[in-house]
Amino acid sequence: MSQRKRSRGSGLTQGDDEDFSVVPTQSPSQVQRNLESRSQEEINRKVTELVQFLLVKDQKKIPIKRVDILKKVIREYKDVYSEIVNRAGRTLQQVFGLQMVEIDTKHHIYILTSTLPRVEGENLKQDIQTAKLGLLIVILSFIFMKGNSAKDSAVWEFLRRLRVHPGEKHEVFGDVKKLVMEEFVRQKYLEITPIPLTDPPEFNFQWGPRAAKETSKKDILSFVAKMQKKEPSFWISQYNEAKANT
Amino acid sequence: MAESDGSGDFFSPRGSGSARSRLSLPSASRNGSVSQRRQRRLSGGLGRPPASEKGDEEDEEEEEDEDDGEEPESERPRPPGSSEGGGDERHRRLIRNQYRELICSVQQNREDMLSSKSNRLTEALEEANQLFSGVSRAREAALDAQFLVLASNLGKEKANELRSEITTFDSLTFAEDLLTFMGINRTETEGNDSDSESMSGGYLPSNAWYKLGEEAEKYFRRAPSFHYMLGSFKSEPPMPRQRIERQRKAPGGEEKRAMPAQLKKMEESHQEATAKEVERILGLLQTHFRNDPCTPIFFFDLVVDPNSFARTVENIFHVSFILRDGLARLKLDDDKLPVIEPVQNVEERNDDHSARARNQVVISLSHEEWRV
Repeated sequence: MSQRKRSRGSGLTQGDDEDFSVVPTQSPSQVQRNLESRSQEEINRKVTELVQFLLVKDQKKIPIKRVDILKKVIREYKDVYSEIVNRAGRTLQQVFGLQMVEIDTKHHIYILTSTLPRVEGENLKQDIQTAKLGLLIVILSFIFMKGNSAKDSAVWEFLRRLRVHPGEKHEVFGDVKKLVMEEFVRQKYLEITPIPLTDPPEFNFQWGPRAAKETSKKDILSFVAKMQKKEPSFWISQYNEAKANT
Repeated sequence: MAESDGSGDFFSPRGSGSARSRLSLPSASRNGSVSQRRQRRLSGGLGRPPASEKGDEEDEEEEEDEDDGEEPESERPRPPGSSEGGGDERHRRLIRNQYRELICSVQQNREDMLSSKSNRLTEALEEANQLFSGVSRAREAALDAQFLVLASNLGKEKANELRSEITTFDSLTFAEDLLTFMGINRTETEGNDSDSESMSGGYLPSNAWYKLGEEAEKYFRRAPSFHYMLGSFKSEPPMPRQRIERQRKAPGGEEKRAMPAQLKKMEESHQEATAKEVERILGLLQTHFRNDPCTPIFFFDLVVDPNSFARTVENIFHVSFILRDGLARLKLDDDKLPVIEPVQNVEERNDDHSARARNQVVISLSHEEWRV
């Protein structure tokens, strides 16, 4: 095994001892050199592993951290990390029509989104995830139309009119409060922050980074318009905001 | 939304600042008589929660009693512990209840109050005004203050909505439209319930949210969840079949193999025990004959266990296997007593297999006979 050059960090050690929060920044020529020290087979194997890892991690829609990618998949191939990720991205796009999107540039957290255009009448599998998406879009619509943020009391009152109560067990969603305040937040669809100096504590609802990437203000406005059988331009300020956002 | 006879300071901040700064306002805007009364109270102390700045209580306002002992007693025109004692307490409790109800209803119906079409906020304010006229103590006044905070927040939001040129988003009609889309079945429900909320009646079908979700998917670029079609790899099914086969071969005397299931092991050992026994007896027989080649063994000598009838039966059972397999021969000797001898020759054995007629002998041995 040839010695690998690193721009920083200690020498060659076992995977667990390495610092996986740091990916060595390398020039393309360095990457090329590192690539040459490995066989195509090895690298392709890692690419496949990464693709599988991403797909499985995405099942629950919990965003994927780069740290995890490095620790669990890349491991000692850290020096060719960028090459592996690039190739994995190509595979995801060409085979699955998906792309890896970074939603947190500071901590390097990624999600997978679809790059394929939606087709009418496409959904053959309707499961609880479908129903949850219905609830989600309703909440996102409310937040957007109310000026991109809403208080939790307002959101829950709105949901009550749709027969969804935070205290009661819902026949479809079960513990709705947990779903909204925990699951949607963990998946980064919603961002819920406590309002300071309120007692009992109140919360502010906003769109989460995943929502921003998977849909858009324009899309949500179209949804609202469709439901209310009006043109999106009916709501002037929201329409302008949505237009500016694209 | 100014009150008709109010001081017009409705939206002034009502934080938890010092009482003095708050109370300094009314003295500027009221007529002389009230300000005199206020001044007296002012001079008393800092710690009291003040009456609100509503304007119309000048005539009806009662002097506040001393609650926390900070004010000097002499200042107050009305002595404490007045004759209205008990009724007063009930009255106050009633007021507190009414305040709480009002606060609750405002909290529950936020959206309704925010709607530009409704005057509900104004109505709520007027109701609170009325209630305040009966307030004489700090506790109720505190509730009034709480309501005021709530109302002013709502007022601020409402004003915000007016300020921007947006067409107000009416969440109520949006909710109704969503329900319609989800397929709500609006039947004629019982006449207006006393419930003040304008919730529509109707039956929401069980696939309501799925229908909405299906529509929602069109607006998202969600990556479909990745699942293996055939599920994860399972390894149990092949095992039982092997075990069953092994059991069937066991009486022939096959080697015992380690097996995971406890139950199977028990059955197996049962079979194994039989086979083992058979072999053991065969071994005995052969040993005996090796030592004494000419004497066949009396059958009953071999099988009978003087101490246990069950054991005897078992022995006969085992010996029968040996006979069946042709490893030993049973014949009648001169005395017509059955004797048993092992078959020496392998070839003989094989021949026997094919040539030998199946002789079946039923030996009956009762307990009585055995004992003898």
